[in-house]
Amino acid sequence: MRTRIKEFRAKYDLTQEDLAKKVGVRRETILFIEKGKYNPSLNLAHKIAMELKTTIDELFIFEDFI
Amino acid sequence: MKEKMTIVLGLGIVILVIITLGFYLIANETIEFFEIASILIIVVLVSSSSYIIWDRVKNLKAGLPTQDERVKIAGYKAGYYGFIAAIWSAVGSNLGHIMLFDQELRGGLVTAAVVLISGLVFMGSFLYFSRKG
Repeated sequence: MRTRIKEFRAKYDLTQEDLAKKVGVRRETILFIEKGKYNPSLNLAHKIAMELKTTIDELFIFEDFI
Repeated sequence: MKEKMTIVLGLGIVILVIITLGFYLIANETIEFFEIASILIIVVLVSSSSYIIWDRVKNLKAGLPTQDERVKIAGYKAGYYGFIAAIWSAVGSNLGHIMLFDQELRGGLVTAAVVLISGLVFMGSFLYFSRKG
């Protein structure tokens, strides 16, 4: 799974730490999600999408299903 | 508040373990090989616990949570490996001692082996899973 979190963070000028504080997780968790090393729960994915003013579909790219 | 309590409690335990280890080393005039191995494992456990506590304090100071869903999952995985290690060390320590020295290991030493080995496996796998992602 690929994500566009980094791209959206840059759009809103947010650091990993800023986003982590907003969604209530550790900075490393955002890093691992961005790298595709950790699949977040639906709840966390929703929170991140809400903070980045987008949808889960836009943020996460499920390559296996394309 | 709960996070701070956990950190304070963890620090207290680490300090108590260090003090106990200090007393044990002062009281013992001669230390055997097995005791050195146990002490080394305890030192590794104390150092890794201190690292985890320091990491939590760092996150707390930065206004971030000390635990999140990823760390909790890492804890569950590490707990599973620790449990498997506990079972195998209970069987393996006694069996190994019989094979090597042709006599059974005392009950207290089996308990010590189980606690130390499962603790070491738990700590190692927790650090691995929380760093690896």
